[in-house]
Amino acid sequence: MRARIVERADVLGIVDLLRGRGYEVIAPFAGRQRDTFFDTVTDENRARIRLHLPNPYYPPKRFVFPPIERLLTFTSGHGATRIEAAHDESKRAIFGIRSCDVAGIHHLDRFYLGRDYRDAYYDSRRRNLFLVNVVCTDPERDIGAECFCVCSDTGPAARDHFDLQLMDLGDEYMAVAGTPSGEAMFSEPIFRTATPGHVARRAAVLADVRTRFKSNTSWFPATVRYVTQDRILEKTWEEIGRRCLECGGCTYVCPACTCFTVSDRETGPGEVERVRIWDSCALSGFTRMAGGFNPRRAVHDRRNRRFFRKLAHYFIQRELSMACVGCGRCTAVCHGDVGMPSVVELIRRETAAAEHHEPAA
Amino acid sequence: MAHRLTTCTFCGVGCGLYLETAGNRVVGVYPSMSHPTNEGRICVRGWHVHEVANSPDRLRSPLLRSNGRLVEATWEEALAFIAARMREIRARHGPDAIAFLNSPRCSNEEAYLMQKLARAVIGTNNVDHGAGVYCNNSINVLLAMIGVPATTNSVGELAGSDVIVVDGMDIARQMPTIAGIVIRSRLRGAKVVAIGTRRHLVAENADLFLQLRPGTEALLYGAMAKVIVDRGLANLPFIRARCHGYEEFLARVHDYDLAGAADACGVPAQLIESAALTYARARSAALLYSTGIESRESEPVEAIVNLALLTGQIGRPGAGIYALTEHNNLQGVCDMGVLPDRLPGYRPVASDAARAQVEAAWKAPLPARPGLTAHAMFADRGGGRVRAAWLCRYDPVSTAFSGDASSALQQCELVVAQHLFLTETAKQAHVVLPTTAFGEERVTFTNTERRIQLAEQVVQPDPGVSPAWWQLMMVARALGADWRYGSAAEVMGEIGSVVPFYEAATYDNLSRDYGRQWPCTHDHPLGTPRLFADGQAAARFRFAAIARPRPAVALCAEYPFALVFGHSLYYWHQNVLIQHSETLRREYRILLLDYPDGFVDLNADDARELGVRDGDRIRLRAAGGAAGVTARVTPEVRRGTVYVPHFVRQVQRQILGTAEGGVALVPVRVEKEAA
Repeated sequence: MRARIVERADVLGIVDLLRGRGYEVIAPFAGRQRDTFFDTVTDENRARIRLHLPNPYYPPKRFVFPPIERLLTFTSGHGATRIEAAHDESKRAIFGIRSCDVAGIHHLDRFYLGRDYRDAYYDSRRRNLFLVNVVCTDPERDIGAECFCVCSDTGPAARDHFDLQLMDLGDEYMAVAGTPSGEAMFSEPIFRTATPGHVARRAAVLADVRTRFKSNTSWFPATVRYVTQDRILEKTWEEIGRRCLECGGCTYVCPACTCFTVSDRETGPGEVERVRIWDSCALSGFTRMAGGFNPRRAVHDRRNRRFFRKLAHYFIQRELSMACVGCGRCTAVCHGDVGMPSVVELIRRETAAAEHHEPAA
Repeated sequence: MAHRLTTCTFCGVGCGLYLETAGNRVVGVYPSMSHPTNEGRICVRGWHVHEVANSPDRLRSPLLRSNGRLVEATWEEALAFIAARMREIRARHGPDAIAFLNSPRCSNEEAYLMQKLARAVIGTNNVDHGAGVYCNNSINVLLAMIGVPATTNSVGELAGSDVIVVDGMDIARQMPTIAGIVIRSRLRGAKVVAIGTRRHLVAENADLFLQLRPGTEALLYGAMAKVIVDRGLANLPFIRARCHGYEEFLARVHDYDLAGAADACGVPAQLIESAALTYARARSAALLYSTGIESRESEPVEAIVNLALLTGQIGRPGAGIYALTEHNNLQGVCDMGVLPDRLPGYRPVASDAARAQVEAAWKAPLPARPGLTAHAMFADRGGGRVRAAWLCRYDPVSTAFSGDASSALQQCELVVAQHLFLTETAKQAHVVLPTTAFGEERVTFTNTERRIQLAEQVVQPDPGVSPAWWQLMMVARALGADWRYGSAAEVMGEIGSVVPFYEAATYDNLSRDYGRQWPCTHDHPLGTPRLFADGQAAARFRFAAIARPRPAVALCAEYPFALVFGHSLYYWHQNVLIQHSETLRREYRILLLDYPDGFVDLNADDARELGVRDGDRIRLRAAGGAAGVTARVTPEVRRGTVYVPHFVRQVQRQILGTAEGGVALVPVRVEKEAA
């Protein structure tokens, strides 16, 4: 097995090794009270890295898909126009990325790189990204009230798409390599051989943590079926639309949301930059046509789009997974409590009741 | 990268958010999960609030008018010019020839120094903020009735209210974070009662929606009071122990009758009764209304507060009055005395004792006569008296609700504009001073729940700009005042010595936790999340006796529609934050793109009867004039009303022959215009 053991005291040594290999290392830190965030590790803040804490709310997808990203610049002068592309080739490692967010990045991979057109901007960032996944094992600190990765089958331990995975076994961490570059790290002396006892311990920890989720009931299969077969009542969408305040937050924090808009803006005399900016299907301007027609003018028609995009069979087939990784962030940002788990439950309950499968709960 | 907790500077909720920076650029923004006001939520404006600082259109040098054009100048030239012209104008026409106006988005420090410059250095009370016409009703009513002109409880407490009454205001558009708390409270079982003329999002979600005729609010609240009294639900122990004026109020209540009110308001009597009983029987009920741009006349506000006193729904968790401020620092600029008739801390300028207190602190004599309002300024420069205007981050040419700011400013000999951008107002100015933006300076704002919060500096400003408070200080110095503030924190130190309820609001104290809610005093340095929570038996509340109002407007067969001149609703597209964010500009311009010549709102059922479709031209005929406009057909407005957004000013001119505010309702006829 491609597994090793790291002493608790040595675990930040992985950060040092990565920094030594030229990576900008991003790791989770604690802010005030429950607030946490990913930030670049420096000599000064290294000791404050935290492996067990609420998953940062602003998702790490921004390291492959930034909120605002310069694509190119046009410069005109001396009778000529120069166009210069801006690719970010810097080496980055995310230390402490959770399993849901690993699944999110994999989902972005399928979208940006998985078909005929490979997005060059995404590609250059992704190629240079090293992921150190940390499994959520602390039910108090790691697992939030909104977490439901056990329902979306993305956690608490990712099965693939990481370079290294760390799991807290108590006094020591088990490290599992997911890629050859992850495995190459095992030549470093901080990694010791794992015994069958360690492997058994890992399985026991995982079995226990799977039972420690606060909201572990979701009705994805039923809802996927209802969405795919277009059986959801209009009044259910209207209820969802009435509770949406069109802030866009659910899309901005979603590890699997891919939408952007492109805009040109002047940055100086004779200089224009083309940027892409996170966009949101919650917003009216997202679907409005240049001529003024908006096929999704009503809020509930736009919300309908979001859940169709995430749950309909057509897209699951295309991307090999639902566009939901169970992180629960949309629940935490939503003003009207129409994040994914609530909507899945609302759809299941109302559709089932209308179809007389069972009385409304 | 760095992450810094700060406060959103868009609306009065003051959500806690983090700014992420890389180098000297803000690259991201996200809400704080722990901030007690927003608990992880922000609205679309918050998600884009940082973009303005990065705008390439920012001003980077002072501008001075020379031969009719604005040209770049040094700070020394600009400041010396302002001081010289102000001296001249004051010498020739007296101090009241100069007016100082700011935006309710200015920081506390800017607001405080601007009014101090006006009063202590120039010697005039011509001080007002851009939303003054509207919010002053609420300030005066609350001061008279409960003694404190602000929201009584914390925003977060709404999560525990079991009844929430929302008056008028479209909170889902104006203060979405609060609308979200209301909606989530309802999901947990609270009852929501919406009262107003428009079917907005919270009304859509409400358990009871009383869609009344415009202008009948005071009558409806009076009728609710009558129901509460008649059903024996008045909280007599509370009233006896803590309120004055109950007898006079009660005498007036008997003038109201439910059936008559139902008829006049156009709301079924049963619904009014049900709303009254729901409110009065609540364990803890909150009343929400706008004190800003959507605010009411005095009487409806008095009638709202009466209900809270009648039932004792004040001073307990989740039970209180929420006077909501749409602009991020509307509360703060009023606290700082940016009011023509009130000094810092709401001291009346006409009171000798009040003036003496502030004079002692400032060591300068203060003028006793109340100054001009922004409204009077833009109507006719206060009868032509004003000859110079100082405008701090304020763009009245684009946004003033009344009068014609452009022509008023054109007639001024000196216009000084402090702003981030060359706004329409700045283009008319004689001097333009470029200011720092959100994220470039450390200053404070006071949100709608009295929470004084630091907005943190996260990037270095361009060397060509400076803080607005510093500019005010430098002009005061050039005029001979000995002002020496090394930082905005020192300005706040002085504010603490002048405004009693900011006494302990030092930057050091504010930087702990999530700001402090005033009163924040040496005795209560952690602030006061809920007013009147001490439960003292002192009688400190006062009922307002309101005579039964006459019907606001007489409609007849010839003019069957009530034309409502709205204040806000679609107004944010002019806002500089909106204009300089890609996403927000797109979102807020949609209505203008859809209706390029402006529009009036017409109810969908009325439109069907008239044969008018969305986007059709219609003609509004009133006794005094007529106007041709585009109809926006919407189920939001009440039947029988036509809503004119404020920015469609030509309708007001054509119908009334004037662009003056003040007239709320006009009876009109709606005709389809021939194609």
